[in-house]
This record gives sequence, C-alpha cells and structure tokens, in this order.
Amino acid sequence: MERRGETIDEEQGLIGPRPRPGGGGEGVSGRRTWPTVDGPHGLSEEESAAYARSYFYWGFALLPLLWAVNCCYFWPVLRNSHPSPHVRRYVMPSAIGFTIFTVLLGSWSLTFLIGGEQLFGPAWNDLVMYNLADKLGLTGWT
Amino acid sequence: MQRSVLDSLGVEIIGVISPVSICMLLVVLLVSTLSPSASDSAAAAASATTAATLVYDESPSDPPGRRLAGALLNAAAFVALITAATTLLVVLYYYRFTGFLRNYVRFSAFFVLASMGGSILLSLLRAAAFPLDAVSALVLLLNLSAVGVPAVLSPAVPVLLRQAYLVALAVIVAAWFARLPEWTTWTLLIALALYDLAAVLCPRGPLRVLVELASSRDEELPALVYESRPASASVSHAVAALGSVELQPVEPAPPNPTLSNRNVDPDRTIVEIESLEEETSPLVPNEPSSSGSGDARQQDIAAEREREREGERNQDPSSSSSLPGLAFESDAFDTSRGIRLGLGDFVFYSVLVGRAAMYDLMTVYACYLAIISGLGCTLILLSICRHALPALPISITLGVGFYFLTRLLLEPFVVGASTSLVMF
Repeated sequence: MERRGETIDEEQGLIGPRPRPGGGGEGVSGRRTWPTVDGPHGLSEEESAAYARSYFYWGFALLPLLWAVNCCYFWPVLRNSHPSPHVRRYVMPSAIGFTIFTVLLGSWSLTFLIGGEQLFGPAWNDLVMYNLADKLGLTGWT
Repeated sequence: MQRSVLDSLGVEIIGVISPVSICMLLVVLLVSTLSPSASDSAAAAASATTAATLVYDESPSDPPGRRLAGALLNAAAFVALITAATTLLVVLYYYRFTGFLRNYVRFSAFFVLASMGGSILLSLLRAAAFPLDAVSALVLLLNLSAVGVPAVLSPAVPVLLRQAYLVALAVIVAAWFARLPEWTTWTLLIALALYDLAAVLCPRGPLRVLVELASSRDEELPALVYESRPASASVSHAVAALGSVELQPVEPAPPNPTLSNRNVDPDRTIVEIESLEEETSPLVPNEPSSSGSGDARQQDIAAEREREREGERNQDPSSSSSLPGLAFESDAFDTSRGIRLGLGDFVFYSVLVGRAAMYDLMTVYACYLAIISGLGCTLILLSICRHALPALPISITLGVGFYFLTRLLLEPFVVGASTSLVMF
C-alpha cells in the first residue's frame, strides 16, 4: 500500500516516484502524456511500436481501415503532442496511405454513383451492388 | 466534496445500460425496416433453418398445440447444443488449448461480420436503393470485417472502437436470431434464461466451472465481453490515498468470459462487477475511500493493464464472470475496470425486443423498460452478492411477462380507448 502516499493524477502529471512501465513523453514540467488516444488505459510505449508496425504492414493487404485505426489510435503521436519516433515512423506512412487510398476509392465510387448509366452504359447495372446481391442471392437471410 | 453513491455508481451503470439500449434500438430498426411484414409470416418462417429449428420447423398453419410442442422441442434441442458447446469449451480450456480457442474466436468474429453482417449490409443497400458499386462494397465489407478481428481481440485499439464492434456483433447476431419463428423464439428465450440460471449458479454448472478454472489460473478466458470504459479522470481531484484501510485485499480475479460456439449461439453471460468503487461506496458511503480508490485505481491502471488486457477477450457472447475481487495490495493488483457484461446478454435482450417490435411499438416500449429494470436489479444484486451472476433470468422473465401482458391486456385497451376517442 505504499502507493498511497503518492498523488496520482493522470491528468495533472506525475508527482513523486512511481515505477511505471514505458518511458517517454515526459516533459520538463513532468506532464505525462500517452502515445495512445486512450490515455492511461491504452498501451505503453514499447508495445505501441510493435502494434503500430503490425498495423502498417497488414494494411497493405487492401485494408486501409487498419491504417485509419493506426492513425486514430496513435493520434497523440501523429499530432506530435507525444513525441515517439518509433511509433511515428509507422503512423505517418499509415496516414498518407489511408489518404491516398481513400482518394482513389472515393473518386472511383463517386464516378460510379454520379455517372450512372449515362457514363457506363448497361455495364452499370451489372456493377451495382444491390443487383449483384440479388443475382447471387447474397441477401439470403431476409 | 463528498461524492455520493450516485456519482460513482451511476456512471458505471450508464456505461452498461447505454450500449444495451443502443443495441436494442439498432435491432428494432433493422427488424422493422428489413423484415417482411407480419402478415407475410410464411416466408419468414421458411427462411431460418438454424440450429434452433432443427427439430421442428414451425409454420403458421399448425394448430397451437403442435406449435407449442414443437417450440419446446426446439428449445430443448438448442439448450442441449449450447450445453454441449460450453462443456467442450470447458474441456478445451482445461487442457490449455488456448491458442486454438483464440484462433477460433478470431475466425468466428470475422465470419460473423463478413457473412451475416455483409448480408445485412446488402439488404440495407437494397432497401435504400443506394447505388454503391460492387468493388467499393466489397472493399468496404472486407475492411470492416478485417478490422473487427483485432478490434475485439487485441488490446491495441481505441476502447470506443472495441465497444462499437462488440455492439455491432451483438446487433448482427440478434437480428439474425429474431428471424426465428415466433413460438420458438419465446420458448427459447425462457429456456435460455433457465439454463443461464443453472449454469452459473449450480456448483457443477459449466459456466461456473469455467469461471473457477480461469480464476484459479489467474487468466482471462477467450470470449467476447463488453466492458464499459472505466470511469477515470473525474475522480482525480478527490481526496487521495485514504481508502486503503477500508478496502479488503482480495485476490484479483480477471474476468473470464466463457466461450461458446459462436456459430450456434452466443452463450449466457454473467454480469460481473469489477470496479471497487461500486463495491465499496454502497458499503461505506461516508468514507472518502470512493474517491481514494478512484485515484489509486488510476495509478494502478497501467501496472495491471499489461497483465489484464492480454487479449484473451475473444469471441462469443458467452458468460463472462469474474469474482469481484479488487485489491489494493502493495504491488497494486487493482483490476478496476468498468462493469463487464457478456455479449450473449446483449444478444438475447435484443432478440426479445426485436421480436416485440415485430408485433407493435407498444410492446417494444414495455419490453425495453422491463429489460432495463431487470438489468438494474441484476446489477444491484451483483453488488450485494459479490460473485458472478447470470444476467439473463430477471430481465428475460420481466420482458416476456411484460410482452404478453401488453399484448393481451394493454393493447386492446389502449387501441380501443383511442379509436373510440375516450382516452389517449
């Protein structure tokens, strides 16, 4: 129960000695920041690097949402309010990759949506998802 | 400033009731927009060939006696299947096939999200006639399903995302279950409430055995459990460091949700209460220990975080039970987390409300209130009993009772009075 004597307040910084896993992020005033958006409930520094890397590499499997999760989860690192070079070198490319992928997919999707049959001809009906779903019986649960 | 019981307890309870309410709302919306109309029951009855209709496939033209008998047989078969699945899980867990269980959970989460969730998504697209093209739809579906796997399993996702995915899983499974024939659904709900009661409270019940196994090994089970976000910073400026003497050192028991066969059915769940504040504040309301425990809790969060959140929190809305032991020992074994509720509870509450939605909106309101009161009672009971409790029985009993009372008594009265311009 020796922790009792030390004030703990995650928001207002760390006062007093306390063994704690993960270093980093301590400013001059002792204000503690966290690499993850969950704050004290999130990951520590070392684990963050491993997860950030794995998210980054898995995102290449046509999974830009993983890149988005990477950016969201390590938002303090992205915004540089918590400097962490190990994490940042994965989070930055994830953000760039997600933006590029969204632009590409979004432009294709909007073209399809707005262009409609005038642009695509009869092929539009074959490409629209609900027609395809009906044809393949994918809405079979209903 | 004294913090009352309501401050600490209320936040935690809201943290559980909100997702349950959201889940029920989404299921009601899905059921009412996507289901065929009530008169088209023939098509609805023919659609669901599931484990729950193995024995008897109900059709609306059968006489009530036959339907009741068939429904009871269905329910019995289903409960037997669930028991078998849970027993299998206990055996696997006993022989430490944890890796297999985790992978199974991953696979199941992905499969449910992709196939059943995808089906729902496509039905919504069809209903809204939204001209999304096939490529984007497939990429979107793949992404949502693939992100769902680490979201429910790994500790490296935002808490909100994990909670959102768990609720989404519950919505999907519940919407799928609500498609069962009517009599079967009701008998199944009652049977499962009884099973939950037995499995958790009987000394040889599979869920209880599982809980004890997991707590004796000091591990978390691979299962799907919803955990509300621990109430944090608001406690910080309270009086620090006084609560230690009042808090009993108890072995920290990481909650262990039980796993059950995902594809068959999410299992019963047990509500467990973790946060020490809930336990101590009602007992010692005048102590500043509630604030102290909150502070101490925060400092211990990181220390225990790595141990606790080692992701065996997969799969299945089975029971999650844990001994509510929170300790402020010298090495800070504080397992103060939010209240945990297994995903099976979400599913069956939503199934009940979804089935009520298929009749009328009045029954939905009645059942919603009944379920929420049942959940509240269970939480209160939990703080008294301090061990794992089944979350289904009280709520399901109240819900079913209110449904039939409303349907048979209240609705004719209200409708009659309104159409005759007497009242309402």
